[in-house]
Amino acid sequence: MGLNDGNFMHARGEEAFPYYVGIHSLADMATKQDRVCVLNISGGESSTVTPVSHVYSGGNIVCGTMPGRGGTVMKTSIGEIPVYNSIMEALKAGHKFNTAVVYVPPAGVKDAVIEAVRINPELRKVIILTEKVRVRDARIIRQYCQWRGVDVFGANCLGVADAHNHVRLGGALGGSSPEESLVPGSIGLFSNSGNFTTTIATYLLTAGWGTTVSLSSGKDVYIHFAAPEFTHAMHNDSRTKAAVMYIEPGGYYERDLEFKKPVVACIVGRWKAKLTRACGHAGAIAGSGDGAAGKEKWFQDKFGVTSCFTPEAPICSAKGAVVTNISHIPLALTAVMAMNGIKPDFAPRGDLSPKCWFQSSAGLALPAELAVPVVQAMAPYDEQILGLGKQVGTVFPRQSMKDCSGASRMDAQTQVSQVHGVSVLDASTRTVEENLVLSIVREYPDANGKAMANVALNAFVNQSGSVLLAAADAARETGNSPNVVLSSAVALVGPKEVESARDAAQAFIDLFGLSGLQDPAAVGFNFAAQIKQVEASAKLQEILVSEKGGKRGRAMLTALEQRGAKSVFIDFLKALTDRQGNVRENVVLAAITCHLAWVPFMHRRLSVNTLLALPWHFRIISTLVGATVPSDGQDKKSFRGVDNADLMNSWSFTETAFSALLGWRPSEEELFSFSVLVGLLITNGPGTISAQGAKGAVAADGPEVPGRVQVNKCYIGFLTHAGYAHGGNGFEAMAFLMERFQNSGLKDPGDPGHGLDLEAMAVQYAKEYKTYKLKAKTAGEMDLMKIPCVNHPIFKGKDVNFDPREVFVDELFKQRGSYNVFQDFYHQLVHALFKAKVSANVYCVNVDAVIAVLLLKMLWKPYSTGAVSGESLERAAFTTFLFGRMLGSAAEIDDHTNRGRNMDTRTAASLCQYVG
Amino acid sequence: MQITGMKWGAKLLKYVDFPAAEILGAEAKPEEIQALIDKYGGVLVKPVFKGGIGKKGKAGLVGKATDVRTALKEKERLYFAEHRHGNAVAKSEGVTYESFIKAEYEVYFSLTDSTLYRAPTMTITHHGGVDIEELPADKIISVPFDPLTGLKGFVISNALSQLGAPNEIISPLVQNLTKLWDLFHNYGMTVLELNPIRIARDANGRLTPVACDFKCSFDGDDPNMDRLGLPDDLDNTDLSEYESAVNQLRTYQGQSDVFVINPTGSVTAMTFGGGANALVTELLGDVATISSDFGGNPPYAKMKEISRITYQYWLPQTNVLFIIGGKANNTDIYETFRAMGDALREHFTEHGPTPLYVVVGRGGPNLIRGLGYLRDIMDALGLPYAMFGFDSAMSEVINHAMAADKWMKAGGRKLIAQKLGIR
Repeated sequence: MGLNDGNFMHARGEEAFPYYVGIHSLADMATKQDRVCVLNISGGESSTVTPVSHVYSGGNIVCGTMPGRGGTVMKTSIGEIPVYNSIMEALKAGHKFNTAVVYVPPAGVKDAVIEAVRINPELRKVIILTEKVRVRDARIIRQYCQWRGVDVFGANCLGVADAHNHVRLGGALGGSSPEESLVPGSIGLFSNSGNFTTTIATYLLTAGWGTTVSLSSGKDVYIHFAAPEFTHAMHNDSRTKAAVMYIEPGGYYERDLEFKKPVVACIVGRWKAKLTRACGHAGAIAGSGDGAAGKEKWFQDKFGVTSCFTPEAPICSAKGAVVTNISHIPLALTAVMAMNGIKPDFAPRGDLSPKCWFQSSAGLALPAELAVPVVQAMAPYDEQILGLGKQVGTVFPRQSMKDCSGASRMDAQTQVSQVHGVSVLDASTRTVEENLVLSIVREYPDANGKAMANVALNAFVNQSGSVLLAAADAARETGNSPNVVLSSAVALVGPKEVESARDAAQAFIDLFGLSGLQDPAAVGFNFAAQIKQVEASAKLQEILVSEKGGKRGRAMLTALEQRGAKSVFIDFLKALTDRQGNVRENVVLAAITCHLAWVPFMHRRLSVNTLLALPWHFRIISTLVGATVPSDGQDKKSFRGVDNADLMNSWSFTETAFSALLGWRPSEEELFSFSVLVGLLITNGPGTISAQGAKGAVAADGPEVPGRVQVNKCYIGFLTHAGYAHGGNGFEAMAFLMERFQNSGLKDPGDPGHGLDLEAMAVQYAKEYKTYKLKAKTAGEMDLMKIPCVNHPIFKGKDVNFDPREVFVDELFKQRGSYNVFQDFYHQLVHALFKAKVSANVYCVNVDAVIAVLLLKMLWKPYSTGAVSGESLERAAFTTFLFGRMLGSAAEIDDHTNRGRNMDTRTAASLCQYVG
Repeated sequence: MQITGMKWGAKLLKYVDFPAAEILGAEAKPEEIQALIDKYGGVLVKPVFKGGIGKKGKAGLVGKATDVRTALKEKERLYFAEHRHGNAVAKSEGVTYESFIKAEYEVYFSLTDSTLYRAPTMTITHHGGVDIEELPADKIISVPFDPLTGLKGFVISNALSQLGAPNEIISPLVQNLTKLWDLFHNYGMTVLELNPIRIARDANGRLTPVACDFKCSFDGDDPNMDRLGLPDDLDNTDLSEYESAVNQLRTYQGQSDVFVINPTGSVTAMTFGGGANALVTELLGDVATISSDFGGNPPYAKMKEISRITYQYWLPQTNVLFIIGGKANNTDIYETFRAMGDALREHFTEHGPTPLYVVVGRGGPNLIRGLGYLRDIMDALGLPYAMFGFDSAMSEVINHAMAADKWMKAGGRKLIAQKLGIR
């Protein structure tokens, strides 16, 4: 007896093998009698694949497991699959199954298999779909299942399917429509590639060959059910007349195969000989002799041929052929089978010629070989392509959006956040109105769009005499913080306030969505057909045209003219009103917002829902700015002393917001500083408290019916999730600076010749702080007062530290030749702290300082003359934060509404803790 | 990751108390080298290669010294030595000084997973120290064993007896070699090779095996390797900056395997599926910049990040952006195409337009929505494209991509650049 014959640690199976193999014939691989339990059934991959398998196989999945989800079900069109916490629970509930399908993440696969095999003595098949199973776990799985007499398929495979039995076990062979590829025939299909299993089955149809069993073996280092086992079972299956095997380099699984039926072997990957590590399949890396060239030779020797089969040189024998391109498989198989006197299973279905479904030359003269004709796609794809032409906008797939965002993200390394791919640093160089458009429309408006946005936002800013201003005033008078004041106002911008704008937006989509209008700024579009449509429809007339005065609507149209704004939608409205009457303000608003969103909407980047909700967002933003000013700052005709018409005709919304906050029209420098402030504050990613508030409010309304999401309530969600700690902290630094500069005699913080010795001031404070710290420590105080806006948990540890965001802003202002004494002081301070040995290295000045120094620079003069109180400063700092964050919240609200699921921000009870 | 040589090998063997040659690093002082020579009678000076280096091609790359002067001279010769075998070139970064082990026997030993036996397998011979592929079959033996119980002494003693190994070495080997299973299995190795193990007599006259060279490979998917505390850059020599960037995105959902084929290539293929990866790379040959496999249904965010990195590295030189895969079983075409499309649009916004011809061949769930989304982006960016159904032979689609590359090289690139307003 040789040393290698001595492994008896396995159950008795097929005699032909020195180890356990339970499958005798391909006919036993996936049968109508097999009953399945899916482990990790509710996971991402399984939840799409399992229902299809269940339905295709006539309901062979008896149960699934998912820790923590016991008691739930997986719905399918032929009934529900019960889910249990564990296999033990499933067995106790009376389920019987012989097959376990494993979707468990890699770290848990080994234990899951052992659990299934140990607890269920009837288990005979384990199919492991999971990728990246560790080799050390594969060793154990192999040996354990050998011992217990269980056939294992995979790992990293797509399972097995039997076209005759109409059963698939495990993964997604045949994809979402298995019948398309798995057509009954006489060919057994073995493939190292899951995708190629389906692709080859589809290719075979073009030569009239169907399949018996398709096996995706996987291509890890351990292939548990490999070519030798498949070959044995293929020989014993009377339905299978021949086999197709797709083989990649690496491993000796195929070297000693002996075939009793014809085989076409496709061996791909000669180039992989150059590899020094796996790329693609983990096991597809060759050692010595098991590369693609070596494997081609193995099979050529078996078939008695001297080279590979190609259409040009169709070399094959009755035993088989070797190909190196999967496209040649059908031809090679037909040739080999002809030598055996066997005809195809059915008439060829389709062919493998290139079929171009979409093509564009982009207006260039392409050579003949590239100017391929577009052909009609096969059913059902032809219908779907036709449908594409009828679809406007996009539909985002829904998922749980808890702590997720498709709008914003923060780079953990740089701490710089982005909205729709634009970093807050870049956003800080843009205006408030530009950043609002970006937040929802995903791109910045051009100058024309900006002018239109300014008209729309300024048109609704004056709240004089409205109940919402009364509500805001009442909230203000009772001592609430700015966010509470603004919430009171926003609560009254309810759905009815914007219903007519929503209807108008829908009308624009219906009228122009499929009209071929790509860019509404390109005026000259012939809308005669749309005018006729409106004239023929009482409903459209009611939506778009008003019999009443529509004073503000007219003023908006005038303002648009004044600003030279160009829009097909505005021209269309004017043409309508010329014929039929007046236009309401909400309709002009909808025309403007549709204009702003139209190009990305046509490029299918936005959903219909976004276009419908956009006027509401605009009205809310106007209200947030408008309600900042108490009733004594606005009347029917003017806002902060500026005539309403002037606001619409010539003010930017950023100027309006500045004036609402501080009371005067900003200088160019002040406007720039204000934009920088607001831009920097837009977002800190979906995890920030304000975003969480907004997202929670969306989730609670149920985004799966987006029309029900109350946009104003979502802004209230954001507002209630701001506060003195989250939004008020800019003021701490202002208070600190005010204290340091109180009696300094500083007149103009923007004058570099201020005459102050900043270094001395910094050193003085560093000393004071050191003394304080020492005293406090001696007294045993735990909570040391921290100097606001220095140091940062990420940007620390070097000899000299910088917060890149603060550096960016510092550079930005330096380039403009703009000086800020407070920022200069902060830079001196961090060095002084180091020199005084308060800090071990030179701390960074962090980005929060930017807010304080910019705002204080603007307000220093009125503050030092007593025109503005300290309390006003705090309110200004807080409200500036709200102005920034309202733009980021707009993005989160729209994003969550488009992508989220109902109540998806809730935390599972199992993840909550009781700490009482 | 692979490790070759005793610099790190000695440290790893220490985890399981397997005796190893005493070694000093390149920074050793002359007096330390002298002490090693005094103790063992001499030193071997070996270059330190990152990654995996075989025995072949190593001739002349080991220095022997019995005095410090020669040792330092050999250090100078070997510090930046090059190892060539076939296409693979490795450059040394430093040397080690390893103690002479006066051996009476030299043993070859390896542990690996055999695809023939489908079990962990020990290969052993007492005719070690040479390239084992040159040994006749009766002088070397491979024995699979049960991983549930591990490598047992009887497996080793039976194998050595069968080979006719001298009796006196069997016991020391049985006592020590079994320890290597712990290192191999518990720290996520897929190959562990000691060649040679020299069997020397200790002061008491007992024979002791001492590892004098070391090679191992780790399973990239097994985090147990991290427990060894090896430095991250140990095996980075063969990873380009691009490969490292993409590798960092490696998670279990969705593949992110990339390999640079030709740094001056002109077709960048975003390939889905291990099979497509093998076929596409084979047929594209040297025009390909990279070989990639992004299958396994990667989520949108991961796919977008992969695309962003890939575009950043390769688009400036790319003529044809080639998105190719078979008929996906489970990968959501809409999600993956949306990610690649959005990343392309953002790339154009950030870096300006670049002349491209886009070729797509794909099938699978949500196919038409995915193709439609990509089509709209290409139209918006003003790029020419051709998108093929999955009922087209993949090789024909590859041919189209190659024809497009030829046209781009023959003036097409310039035409697209003009149209995009690129100067």
